[in-house]
Amino acid sequence: MLVSLNWLKEYVDIQLNPYDFGECLTMSGTKVETLTVVSEKVSNILTGKILKIEPHPNADKLVVCTVDLGTDERIIVTAAKNVFVGAVVPVAVDGAIIADGTQLGVSDFRGVSSHGMFCSIEELGMNLDLFSKEIMEGIYILPNGTDPGLDVKKLLWLDDVIIDVELTANRADCQSIVGIAKESAATLNLSLGAFESYNKVESTNEIKEYLNVTIESDLCPRYVAKMLKVKKIEASPLWMQVKLLNSGVRPINNIVDVTNYVMLELGQPLHAFDYHSLDSKKIVIKTTKNEKIVTLDNKERDIDASMLMITNGTAPVAIAGIMGGENSEVTDATSLIVLESACFNKSSVRLTAKKLGLRTEASARFEKGVDPELAIAAALRATWLLEAIGACEVVEGVIDVYQQPVAIKKISLDINWVNHFIGISLSESEIAALLSRLFFNVSSENNGILQIEVPSFRQDIDAREDLAEEVARMFGYDNIPSTIMGGETMIGGKTPVQKYEDDLKNVLVGQGYFETLTTSFTSKRRLSGLNCATPEDLVPLVNPLGEENSIMRHSLIGHQLEVISLNYHQKNPFGHFFEISNTYRKNPKLGELPIEEKKLVLSTYGNDDYFELKGMVELLLAHTGIENPSFISGGSEFLHPGRKAIVSANGIILGEIGEIHPLVVKNYGLPKRTYVCELSFSDLYDCGSMGQKFVELPKFPASNRDLAIQLKDTIPAAEVDAILRKNGGNILESIELFDVYTGSQIPEGYKSLAYALNFRHQDRTLNDDDINPVVEQILAELKSALNAQLRE
Amino acid sequence: MELELIQLKDRCLADLKDVCELKALDNLRIKYLGKKGELTIALKGMGKLSKEERPVIGKLANEVREEIENALSLQKQILDKEEIDMRIKEEVIDVSLPGKKHFSGSLHPLTTTINELKEIFLGMGFSIAEGPEIEWAKYNFDYLNVPLDHSARDLQDTFYYEDDIVLRTQTSPVQVRVMQEQKPPLRIISPGRVYRSDEIDATHSPVFHQMEGLVIDKDITMSDLKGTLNMFAKKLFGEQTKTKFRPHQFYFTEPSAEMDVTCFKCGGVGCKVCSNTGWIEILGCGMVHPNVLKLCGIDPDVYSGFAFGMGLDRITMIKYGINDLRLLFENDLRFLSQFK
Ligand SMILES: [Zn+2]
Repeated sequence: MLVSLNWLKEYVDIQLNPYDFGECLTMSGTKVETLTVVSEKVSNILTGKILKIEPHPNADKLVVCTVDLGTDERIIVTAAKNVFVGAVVPVAVDGAIIADGTQLGVSDFRGVSSHGMFCSIEELGMNLDLFSKEIMEGIYILPNGTDPGLDVKKLLWLDDVIIDVELTANRADCQSIVGIAKESAATLNLSLGAFESYNKVESTNEIKEYLNVTIESDLCPRYVAKMLKVKKIEASPLWMQVKLLNSGVRPINNIVDVTNYVMLELGQPLHAFDYHSLDSKKIVIKTTKNEKIVTLDNKERDIDASMLMITNGTAPVAIAGIMGGENSEVTDATSLIVLESACFNKSSVRLTAKKLGLRTEASARFEKGVDPELAIAAALRATWLLEAIGACEVVEGVIDVYQQPVAIKKISLDINWVNHFIGISLSESEIAALLSRLFFNVSSENNGILQIEVPSFRQDIDAREDLAEEVARMFGYDNIPSTIMGGETMIGGKTPVQKYEDDLKNVLVGQGYFETLTTSFTSKRRLSGLNCATPEDLVPLVNPLGEENSIMRHSLIGHQLEVISLNYHQKNPFGHFFEISNTYRKNPKLGELPIEEKKLVLSTYGNDDYFELKGMVELLLAHTGIENPSFISGGSEFLHPGRKAIVSANGIILGEIGEIHPLVVKNYGLPKRTYVCELSFSDLYDCGSMGQKFVELPKFPASNRDLAIQLKDTIPAAEVDAILRKNGGNILESIELFDVYTGSQIPEGYKSLAYALNFRHQDRTLNDDDINPVVEQILAELKSALNAQLRE
Repeated sequence: MELELIQLKDRCLADLKDVCELKALDNLRIKYLGKKGELTIALKGMGKLSKEERPVIGKLANEVREEIENALSLQKQILDKEEIDMRIKEEVIDVSLPGKKHFSGSLHPLTTTINELKEIFLGMGFSIAEGPEIEWAKYNFDYLNVPLDHSARDLQDTFYYEDDIVLRTQTSPVQVRVMQEQKPPLRIISPGRVYRSDEIDATHSPVFHQMEGLVIDKDITMSDLKGTLNMFAKKLFGEQTKTKFRPHQFYFTEPSAEMDVTCFKCGGVGCKVCSNTGWIEILGCGMVHPNVLKLCGIDPDVYSGFAFGMGLDRITMIKYGINDLRLLFENDLRFLSQFK
């Protein structure tokens, strides 16, 4: 919100420089984002009244003006079309500086010396967005009656500092000059100025002859109406226009400007209706069904039954709290106005504004919550202004339908509790003083308990903790000491599974793998590249950001392929990646949250092969304490049918590994050989025995036997492996497959697997008599089960 | 016999002069001193000698053997050294040639940041709590004191799976779960993935990361919150770091604050990192709202506590000077490999 410092100073005597003031406001809770001078560079621009306009002797497009600058007269040559005799305009006399920093001198225009220049709003450095095109393009004409010789920088508040403040959602009361003034006064411990208001003792209730207001909804706690007879619709006075401009609001005419002025000043949105266009003696506030209304911005709006409308009893004339209707707009012909100062339910305004896609200055304020007590004050302030600027005459009487008066909140505050909660030690009177600064009505009985009455504009204060914050911020958060927590000492620390995750990551990094970070979203289209049937139990979002982010991923593989594709196309020659992240699936049980499963994914491309990745996985499994994992041919359809395996251990399937299917390679734009492995993180952890125990070094030597076994090449090595282990008994210490051979030495369709078997006994040295029967038994079963034989 | 031994010795020493290989030296040893060597053969005649001659010749034979052995050993040393010198000469390499490539990977910079933050809080006795990302709306909003009509609940701001199930917009629901499931005292941090319906750009992402912290105990004060977070700031950004607590508003806490730290880059004088303010906004914090405590079954008259939360992606970006959030999610190796 933009706050004019000059306007603020009318309420609070701020002596600090703007930056120090801004810092004070920030530190008491009103965050100052920026401080900007409207037009910092301009100087020596004066108001001048054009006395005479004569043609230029040597140029058709120029005129020579004689200008009264108050103390002297000057000749100014101009090409502007919109100047006229009697006009008061900004004159940059010689030596003056205009907004872009240019310094002016006396210049010669085809033989006539010009002692300065007339200025447009651009040259004055004012906000171009707030003026109509015609004003923007010509010389800025000041209102009739403006004295010549005035300093334009002061007159137009070009030296004003605009403070952009960020308000928190709870401080609806700060959405105005007076609201910020209250905070400023409290922060700086200064007094708050008052504003003038209509307070004439009226003898009649004339308004009743014109109007009756009824509220037929609980979405409008209060509706105040005041009526005024229009004397003249014209531009509002310059001082008012300037304050609007410096608040970022475009001046329109005296009536509209006053409604905006009071909204900016007090935070109460107002609306003026043309009484005669209402075509009715009543205003009814209610919801209507399936109506249409053309709003002031000339757009037709569809109204549904949830939207609160201001009606003339039958037809809507305004959307409550958002925007007036064109049918009751104040025009030059308006002679009688109804001034609305009302309070509308904030959720209702928010939802209506959202449905209509129409947010206004008024709706923004109502959405945050407007104090119902403000309605009458604002109506009377506006009435006073309209009368004071000569725009209207007052119709006596006021209509005030206040169906839900605000209850005054009272909170008792224990001084010891506040001090203890914040960690400070203030006396009862000090705390009372801090709260009084914020306009709380504090009564103290010197018994350690303060009775606090909350002003109606502080709708955010409900509990003692809210008051504690008020005390703390007035005392200054910076003045609160920093202390070390007392209480029980706590050990804290990571759980074993958290340690395991960190540990796994470190192993992978040490092996050259890069950790990736991918989003949790995917989509049917993205998954279609995997050439798989999409699973039934996906978790779709109701309101995704586009199709490609429409479901929660059930696997990490798709994103890894996207990462590899990106890197491949960035010409990174090879890559090893991993990620440990959640995947999501529908919960088969009704009324439960979806299932989140953490998975580990590895992916590689470049100079690796299947066995390289498998080796990495084996290393991880060994590190996890998983012994004898099995890799059995099989796995998802996106993997190469001849190069994929299900990884399991102790009968539990951990995941799968393989080369990406050539079709999927094409779909994703992947390098020809891409390998992935995805494992369930929790199963991995559960299967492992991470607590590594020391095993005593063997005292007796091992005996080694090498066996080359010839068998059909379709039989997986894993089956041989299983037979070796099963028959090896407890003296078989380890097995290593060290060679796989196919070729001319053996029959076609056969392969030879060369194993090194290591036998050892804990308590003695083994001899042939121990080992030979075991080997024979192994060979016998290999023959019977796999028709495999020893290769001599 | 005596002469025979002397001649044998002279012959051997003469032969030795021609030996310039270790192999030949070994042959020479076998020829003279081996089991069937000349000295052994010569000594076979000892039996024919008289009792008087035997010790004399025996002594001489030992002297000859010793002299030959010494000579052989000396020559061996020379040859050994020659051989080593030769090898060294042959084995000279250009030590300035490049080393063989080894590749190490790296943690994602976000993980590194999280690890750093975790360590700081683990050192202060915190535990790490985790919870679901797809969460009951009531845990994400209601229990956190978010008003029923608040816009954060809108479809424009929050992703929904079902009417009452959302993608959590903050890690605070984890705090709710911990408060409901465990008894105070509590000290937890909850780093994790959160979601908001923001289109991705240089500073926004629908998926991002937060770490929140929660302390609940008897007698926890706002000054404890300041003390704890001051210590955190100094540990993360250095001993000289100053903090500034500004009043703010969160539904979850009352009183609430935002904490700024002095810019670690310029030390507070103003630079590009801190947009010339000297300060960087780092986290939101406050005393846990009594409504939240009550909703979670903790008596606010007995216990109090504080909570804080920070954006991990943002801290990572500040820490490493990363100018575009999208880089964190792109996983280009040219990016990832900068964080070894
Ligand atoms: Zn800086």
